[in-house]
Amino acid sequence: MGMKDLVEDLKARRQRALAMGGPEAIAKQHADRKLTVRERVDRLFDPGSFNEIGLLATHANIAPAMRGKETPADGAVTGFGKINGRHASVIAYDFTVMAGSMGRTAEVKCNRAREIALTKRMPMIWLIDSAGARIQEAIGSTFAQSGFLFREESIMSGVVPMVAAMMGPGAAGTAYIPALSDFVLMVKGTSHMALGGPPLVKAIVGEDITAEELGGSKVHTEVSGVADLEVADDAACIDAIKEYLSFFPSSNLEQPPVVPCEDPADRMDEALLSIVPDSARRAYDMKTVIAHIVDGGRVFEIKPGWAKNLITALARMGGRPVGIVANQPMVLGGALDVDSADKAARFIMLCDAFHIPLLFLQDVPGFLVGSKVERQGIIRHGAKMLYAVSEATVPKITVVVRKAYGAGYFVMCGKAYEPDLIVAWPTAEISVMGPEGGTNIIFRKEIAAADNPDEERARRVEAFRTLINPYIAAGGAFIDDVIDPRETRPVIVRALDMARTKQVQRPWKKHGVMPV
Amino acid sequence: MAEDVKAHITGVVFQITSKAGDVLAAGDPVIVLESMKMEIPVEAPRAGTVREITVAEGQTVQEGDTVAVLD
Repeated sequence: MGMKDLVEDLKARRQRALAMGGPEAIAKQHADRKLTVRERVDRLFDPGSFNEIGLLATHANIAPAMRGKETPADGAVTGFGKINGRHASVIAYDFTVMAGSMGRTAEVKCNRAREIALTKRMPMIWLIDSAGARIQEAIGSTFAQSGFLFREESIMSGVVPMVAAMMGPGAAGTAYIPALSDFVLMVKGTSHMALGGPPLVKAIVGEDITAEELGGSKVHTEVSGVADLEVADDAACIDAIKEYLSFFPSSNLEQPPVVPCEDPADRMDEALLSIVPDSARRAYDMKTVIAHIVDGGRVFEIKPGWAKNLITALARMGGRPVGIVANQPMVLGGALDVDSADKAARFIMLCDAFHIPLLFLQDVPGFLVGSKVERQGIIRHGAKMLYAVSEATVPKITVVVRKAYGAGYFVMCGKAYEPDLIVAWPTAEISVMGPEGGTNIIFRKEIAAADNPDEERARRVEAFRTLINPYIAAGGAFIDDVIDPRETRPVIVRALDMARTKQVQRPWKKHGVMPV
Repeated sequence: MAEDVKAHITGVVFQITSKAGDVLAAGDPVIVLESMKMEIPVEAPRAGTVREITVAEGQTVQEGDTVAVLD
């Protein structure tokens, strides 16, 4: 063949690979309310920026059952491109090719994509729509030479951002890819993840359950907390990945990207005067406070449907990304439990790994008490949050909006946890415990001995209440200032600007022993 | 179909804010509990009509206890 024919032959080979699993499988994919793998990748990357690697790959032909089969690109699209002008590497499973099952060749491609992300320090993105390992190729003790990706993913953790989007099934080993990623999205209705899918569950433990009930988006974004965000469809999923990454540097060697900010840094907000109710026992929506503080009111919440008594969100202040950890009085009165401590600890570690400053908004009556939470190990989970906030060396700003009680004050970056600025609203109540609880313990005997115990208790509670106002803490310079709520945004923006040059040296250690 | 409205935190019934026959939207408070020194509403899990309130003010309820039934 001459060069012209050779080039024609190459073109034909490429076209066969780009055709994926064929028109019938593509129609089925669309009928299932899913984009094809190539439509997803097109939407993810800036136009014309995607460079595919391994387009001409095909299955390894190692199993009799695979003889004569065609597997375009071996069921996975891999490569690199630019997202809003910055490089990222992708592994996207093609469900139209043998249900996106991972064969030997596809693994080689995935190794390549991970190597690009790690050695060139760019985000790694997985678009998962896969039945799992390709059993035809994997069965038998050759399995001994597998599992490398999870070790590599662990090593990559905290070096480059890792995002896993569940856009179809993701069973067995495939479910550990999201588990080890920083951010996990699930498309509502079409995605599932479980260590064992329904047939395996039926065979092993005899439970009859649908894929949706077992590991659908509702389960993982509202009950288990394995996933971070439920999205309506494939398009919304890809858009959310891009928005999430916009807050992050390409790797831990860089600083988070700063964008031009149209919202004035010195904006005073009158609305902040009327959100917190006059009664300290009444709830209000902390999300309203956040919306009035951050740039343009724009907030990207992480795990909005799980452990709702604590809010974790990405936003910008003065154009700089900031990670917000805030108590939510609307749910459980803002009290902390095992899941909210877990959620906060993970989010703090995520932000710290990628140099995103943390903003803590406190209104916490404390940790839940009682036999139920003790059996769940609330001490261990609470310690996890203490550990994460202590370890974090990014700039930390704390605003005590209202309640700051007991260990709740500590884990929400109280003074001892190295906030670069800690201020309180005039509504702040700071104490080891609330006036009622404290009075009952300290003055138990006096109250019992009084002629009118109820009156005595009320008098003691009022006396106690005068001790918890923030002016005593500010008077001792234990907190840096009491601020007018309207000043909250300017105070935080100035503190973040001041803390940009923060340097913290820790004693050398291999690593700590995290209370997980 | 009737659905139980359950307390999601252990506490004392502070206030009964709805009564049998009231039509509620999802998220409307059915009763208010006092716990962790906070007034914490127990909300309707879905839209519906209150069939009955099964607790009284001042009563202690455990997490998971039924406080009302919604039609």
